[in-house]
Amino acid sequence: MTQAITLRLITRQAGGGEIVRTRRIDGAQALIGRDPACEIYLPDLAVDMQQARLQVVGENRVRIESLTGAPFTVDGKRVTQAELQPLRGSKVTFGAFDLLIAQGGDGDIAITVSRQEDDQGLSPSLFSLKAVMFGRRKMAWTLALSILALCLALPLAGSVLMSHLVIHPDRQWSTGPLSKAHAFLEKDCQACHQRAFVAVRDQACLSCHQAGDAARTARIDARVQRLGSPFLPLLVSDHAPHDRLVRAMPPPPTIRGRIGAVFETAMNHPSDRCASCHREHTTAPPDPAARATADILRPGKPALVVVRDCADCHSRLKMRLPATGLIDTPDWNRHPDFRPLVTTGFDGPQPRVQRVSLAARPLEANGLTFSHRVHMSATGGVARQGQVLGQGRGYGAALTCQSCHRPDGGGFKPIEMERDCGACHSLAFAQVGGQLKALRHHDMRDVAGVLRGAAPTPGAPSVDPAVLRRALAPGGLCVDCHTVRPSNGPLGGEVAPVHLADRALPWGDFNHAVPAHAGVGKGAAACADCHKAQASDRSQDLLIEGVATCKACHGKTEHDTAAAAGGQCSECHSYHQPGQAPRTGQDRLFTALGLPPGQKPRGLPTF
Amino acid sequence: MAGAQGQTQRRKTATHESFLRHRSFLFLKLATILTVGVVAAYLLQDSRPRPGGGTALGYVLGTAGALLIVWLALLGVRKRAVTDGHYSLKAWVSAHVYLGLSLLVIATLHTGFQFGWNVHTLAYGLMLLVIVSGAFGVWAYATLPKALSSNRGETTRKQMLAQLGALDEQIREAAQPLPRAEADIVRLSLEKTDVAGGFWRRLSGYYGDCANTRAIAQLAPALRAASGAHAQTLAKVEQLMRRKADALGLARRQIRITALLEAWLFIHVPATFALLAALTAHIVSVFLYW
Repeated sequence: MTQAITLRLITRQAGGGEIVRTRRIDGAQALIGRDPACEIYLPDLAVDMQQARLQVVGENRVRIESLTGAPFTVDGKRVTQAELQPLRGSKVTFGAFDLLIAQGGDGDIAITVSRQEDDQGLSPSLFSLKAVMFGRRKMAWTLALSILALCLALPLAGSVLMSHLVIHPDRQWSTGPLSKAHAFLEKDCQACHQRAFVAVRDQACLSCHQAGDAARTARIDARVQRLGSPFLPLLVSDHAPHDRLVRAMPPPPTIRGRIGAVFETAMNHPSDRCASCHREHTTAPPDPAARATADILRPGKPALVVVRDCADCHSRLKMRLPATGLIDTPDWNRHPDFRPLVTTGFDGPQPRVQRVSLAARPLEANGLTFSHRVHMSATGGVARQGQVLGQGRGYGAALTCQSCHRPDGGGFKPIEMERDCGACHSLAFAQVGGQLKALRHHDMRDVAGVLRGAAPTPGAPSVDPAVLRRALAPGGLCVDCHTVRPSNGPLGGEVAPVHLADRALPWGDFNHAVPAHAGVGKGAAACADCHKAQASDRSQDLLIEGVATCKACHGKTEHDTAAAAGGQCSECHSYHQPGQAPRTGQDRLFTALGLPPGQKPRGLPTF
Repeated sequence: MAGAQGQTQRRKTATHESFLRHRSFLFLKLATILTVGVVAAYLLQDSRPRPGGGTALGYVLGTAGALLIVWLALLGVRKRAVTDGHYSLKAWVSAHVYLGLSLLVIATLHTGFQFGWNVHTLAYGLMLLVIVSGAFGVWAYATLPKALSSNRGETTRKQMLAQLGALDEQIREAAQPLPRAEADIVRLSLEKTDVAGGFWRRLSGYYGDCANTRAIAQLAPALRAASGAHAQTLAKVEQLMRRKADALGLARRQIRITALLEAWLFIHVPATFALLAALTAHIVSVFLYW
C-alpha cells in the first residue's frame, strides 16, 4: 500500500498565534502550485500555476520534480527535481512557502506548509533621514577627534619627536608663505619659533645674521648652507645701542596705533624686536615701486615685508634723544647739509676732528701745504714736470685726478707721498757711487738716528744733519708740502703732524664706482662736478660740495635728468651696516654671477 | 500671580511670533549693531603691513569670534534643558541665528582676507559650512513645515504606509491568476519598490527608476494583448499599481520635505564639532609658534 500524504497547513495570525489545518491527500501524488486546483496550493506569485509534482515512489521515498522547469530549493539547494527520504526530514521551498517533509504518524508522509515570516512592515521612522544616515553624534565625534589628531596631536608629536622626517606635519600651522630670503626655512618652524608660547625673539634672527669675527661668520655660513639656503645671510651690526634705539622709537602716531601697541605689549609681542619690522608669513599688497623683474629669483615667494622706515625715528629724533648729535631728517627734501668730519687741529700728535657744517665753510688743519689748482693746471711748471718726469711713471702729461687718486672699490687708495709725489718732490739727499740715496718718507727713525748722531741702522741711509736743517728751513724741501713749526731741537724746526681723513662723511656711503658717480653715462657726474679742486689753492679747502649737488640727480625724475636716481635713505645709508650704503640687489646679482662655482653670494641677489 | 501672568504672556508670544521675529527683531538689531561696529573698526584700524589675526583688532575679533562659536555651539546643550524664565529657548534660538550670521563678518575680518592651505583656513572653512548649513536650516524651518502639512493633508505618515501595505496585499491577491511572466512583473512592484531610498534620492525626490513604475510600463503590452477574464485581471492589477504609484508619490513628497528639513542638521552638527576641534588646533598652534 502506498503511503498517504498528510498536509498540515500553518497560517500565522496577525496578532500572533497560528492556525493549523490538517488535510489528508489520497493518492500517491500531489501537484504543487499557485492554481487553487493544486493539492498543495501555494498562493504566491513567485510560484507557477502548476510548478511541481510530488510523488511517493516507494517506502519512505518521495520525489519532487518541476513541471515547468522553474527550480525550487531543497535544504537551501536549487534543484528541478529531488528524491527525498521523509525519515530524514527535508525542507523544500517554493517562493515564500516552506514545505517540511517528514515521517508522520500512522506511516504517513507529513508535509507541513508554512509561509515565511514577512519582512517587518514599513515603519514611520522611514520618513526621517536618520534611517539612512550615520548618527549625527557619531559623525560629529569622528570628525572632531580626527581633526584634533591630524591637526593638533600629530604636528605636536612631529615637532617634538620626528623633526628629522621628510614630512613636517607642523607645516599646516604656517599662516602664510615665508619671504624669498627665508623660504628655505619653511620646513623648519623651530629655526625661528624656538620657544613655545613665546613670540620670535632677536636671538633666533641673530643666530644667522649677527656680524662678528671670521670664525663666527664661517659657523653661520656653514649652518645656513646645511639648512639649504641658496645664498649666505646678510650680516648685521647694531644700528645704535639698544636702549637708545628704544628711546628713539616714536610712539604710534594715532590713537588706533597706540591701542595696537598696548595689545602688543599685553600679548608679549615687544615692539623692539627684529620681527617687529620684518614681518614673515604675510603677503603684503604689491609695492608699486618694486620692479616687475624683482620676482626673477624664487618667483611666487613674497618679498620680506618691512614695516618701519628711517623717517619713523629720524624725523623727530632730537625731541626723544636730546643728546643726539644727529639732525632731524624727515625726508630727502629736508636732508640737512653735510657736516663733514674736519681736522680742526692736533692735541699733541693726535688729530682733533669734529663735524662741521659746510655752511660754516670749515677749513682743514691737516698739516699739509698743497694747491690742487697748481698741480692740475694744464700749463705751467707742474704740467711740464708731469710731461717729462711722469713718463717714467706711465702718465707723461699734465696731472689729472687719477694721477694721484687711485680707485679702490667704491673709494680710493690712500695717498702715498713717495709714489704719488715722489716723481717731482724727490727725497734724494746724496749720491753714493752714482746711486741716489733718498730719505724714506714718513719713517723718521733714520732721521732721528742721524740727529742723535748715533750709528744708523744697518743698510739705512745716513743723512747729513745739515741737509735736514736745509730741508726744514723756509724754502726747504719739506716746507714745500709740510707745515714746519719752529723747535728748540738741533734742526731748528719740526714737521707738524699730518691727518688726512679717510672719509669726510662717515655715516653716508658715497660709492665712487657707481657709473653715474664716475662720469660714465648720460648726465653722470664727473669729479669736477663735486670736487672744485681746480680752483683750490689751499690744502685747507674741504673739497666736497653740499647736499644740493646730490639733489641734482637723487630724488629727480628721468624727465629732470638722464641720471635720475632715488631719493630713499637707503641710497646712501644702511640700517644694519651703519656708515655703508646697502648693496643693491642688482649689485649682489653681479657679484653672484662673478663668483667661482660652488660659492654662494651673501644676501639675496635680485634685479 | 505675576508668574502665571508671565506664563500667559509667553504662551501668547509663542503663538504669534516666530523665533526670527522674537521681541521685534531684538537680536537682529543687536547683531546689526555688532556687525557695523566691527566693520567700522576694521576700516579705521592702523595695521601694517596688512590686517590679520595678529593685529590688535585681530586679537579682539579672534577672541570675540571664538567665544561666540562656543556660545553658539552651546545651543545644543541649552535646547535639551527644559527651563522657564526670561531667556526662553526661543530667545536663544533667535540670538543663535542672528549672532551666528554676524560671526560671518567677525571671523572674515579676523582673517584679514588671508587664506591658505593651513589649519587656520580649515577652521574658517568649517565655520562657513556651519553658518551656511545653519542659514539653510533657518529657511527650512521657516518654510517647510507648511509644505509638509499641506502635502499630507489629513493623512498621517502611518496611514500613508498602511495604505501602501494594503495596496500591496490587494495587488498580490488580484495577481494570483496571472501566469509566471506576468506574475514576475507584478512581483517587481511588490518586492522591489523602495519607498524612500538613500540620502540623495530623498533630497532630490527623483524616483524615475521606481520598480512600481517599471512594472506598470512592462505590463502594458500584455494588457493590450489580453482578452476575457485574463484582461480583467490584468486591468485590475494595473489599476491597483497606479493607485500605488499615487500613494508612493504622496509618501515620497513627504519624505523629500522631511529630508530637506533634516539634512542641514546632518551637516550643521558634525561640522560644528569639527569646527570646535579645528578652532582648538588654530588657537593652540598660533600661540605655540607665536
